[in-house]
Amino acid sequence: MKAISVDNLTRDYGTFRAVDHISFDVEPGEFFGFLGPNGAGKTTTIRMLTGLSEPTEGTALIMGYDIARDTYHAKEHFGVVPEVSNIYEDLSAWNNLMFAGELYGLSYTKRTARAREILDIFDLAEFRDKKVHGFSKGMRRKLTLGMALIHEPDILFLDEPTSGLDVESSLLLKEILSRMNREGTTIFLTTHTLEEANTLCNRIAIIVKGRIAAVDAPENLKKTIQTTQSVEVSLDSMTPRVTEDLAAIKTVTSSRHEGNKLRLFTPYPGDVATAVFAYAGEHHLKILSINTVGPSLEDAFLSIVQKQRNHRTGEMP
Amino acid sequence: MIPRPPTARIWRELKSAWAITKKDARIYYLRPGIIMFGVLFPLFLFLSFAIGRNLSADVLVPGLMAISVFFAASSIGPMAVPTERKTKTYERMVTAPVSPLSILFGEIAGGAIFGAIIATIPLVIGIAIYGTRIANPVGLIGALILISFAFSAMGIMFAAIPTDNPGDVMMILNFIRLPLLFVSGIFIPVSAMGVYGVVALASPLTYAKDIIQYALTGAGYYGPFIDTLGMVLFSGIFLWIGVYLHERNRKAG
Repeated sequence: MKAISVDNLTRDYGTFRAVDHISFDVEPGEFFGFLGPNGAGKTTTIRMLTGLSEPTEGTALIMGYDIARDTYHAKEHFGVVPEVSNIYEDLSAWNNLMFAGELYGLSYTKRTARAREILDIFDLAEFRDKKVHGFSKGMRRKLTLGMALIHEPDILFLDEPTSGLDVESSLLLKEILSRMNREGTTIFLTTHTLEEANTLCNRIAIIVKGRIAAVDAPENLKKTIQTTQSVEVSLDSMTPRVTEDLAAIKTVTSSRHEGNKLRLFTPYPGDVATAVFAYAGEHHLKILSINTVGPSLEDAFLSIVQKQRNHRTGEMP
Repeated sequence: MIPRPPTARIWRELKSAWAITKKDARIYYLRPGIIMFGVLFPLFLFLSFAIGRNLSADVLVPGLMAISVFFAASSIGPMAVPTERKTKTYERMVTAPVSPLSILFGEIAGGAIFGAIIATIPLVIGIAIYGTRIANPVGLIGALILISFAFSAMGIMFAAIPTDNPGDVMMILNFIRLPLLFVSGIFIPVSAMGVYGVVALASPLTYAKDIIQYALTGAGYYGPFIDTLGMVLFSGIFLWIGVYLHERNRKAG
């Protein structure tokens, strides 16, 4: 049985089609990333998968239960962490966890044991009786995740979980998610942070304008654009003239500034690196750093999004 | 998975609904908006009409009790639901394995308990100052439960207005609540309304005030059977419309 099985899922808002016949499966124990540009249909999809709205067409099965028809059983199997930390500001951390436990039908003994465990895992034990409105953003995020985990769900839906968090809280959260996934929880993650998806996810689906553009492992997605290899170079003088000269090296297809470095895209990085050395010698410039770089998930994402946009635009009358 | 018997499911739904009720009590009962629109506003409105008119305690106490329940019970839902839409905590309940009916029952019970508690204040004042006697204590408890439920369900029905600002719902609700005060026999007895007394039949507050009066004094205008029937009917209508509208909002996403 698949953890999540989506078949031809479609959602219309009036005449606007937000999600357009998407299909994909998520295996039990998988860490599945769901990426897309703003307005691509990520949130609409997650809302349908969690029963917050109903599909216009198609089905979504959660551990074999149809979320639209057998909502009750489907909902028993997942927890949700939305983009906004939806906790009760006027309740203490403990009472928030107790409320979540009661909603999921946990006995008093079970929910108090789980709440203690969660407060310890998330380093919130000393704040258990404090009202949430005094909590930092990181603490709120951890409590939201804790509330989603109170009933030990098979699947966890996460919508931009590290959005707005500082580096330390973000790393801690990612570490917890990785550990939970290793322990068997299926994770469905939507994120804008490609690095996050790259390091955490087993597979990634990219949605563009309501349609699935690609579903594959991050490494396979990168391979689809193997031609976008590049040479990243930093010289002691990066004047517009130097930049222009380097971008004009034979086989360089395009260039991009990244901080004080210039990235030269080419199918032949070795040749370009040799040409850069020659140019620096000729002009008495010092090379501060030079690296050949393979395609990143970001490159793959941008390439897939662009192709899909061009494809959809071509379809328009 | 071994299927659970239906009774286990019902029991679990009831426990979830009770959790929602407790949560509402902890968070909303002492909110300034609730104290203002649910308690102080109707109290001063009533006093401004009652003082100087030499009304007897038999008219004053049931009238004040009726409008106390009316305003208090119908204020919790319009405060809680839009606030929770704004903070997205309403979504937390919707994504849990709890039926839409149980969520609304939980919210309604939150308002109903608040309404019943507030109604005891004028009763205690009536007993202490005017020596009010309760002709039918059991009937009064039953009446308060029924009335609180009906008015709380009314509040939940209005809370389906798709907004995340409680003020928007309160404004529309007051647009309905205030005129009802004047056609429900609170300030002018239904018997004195002449042909306009027909309008009173369309107001749930009429039956509420009448049944409280009956329970306190042993005499009412319509009698306990019609009053109970009226309150049950209004409760059913409010609940049905409320469930329908809240579900429609959810499906619309």
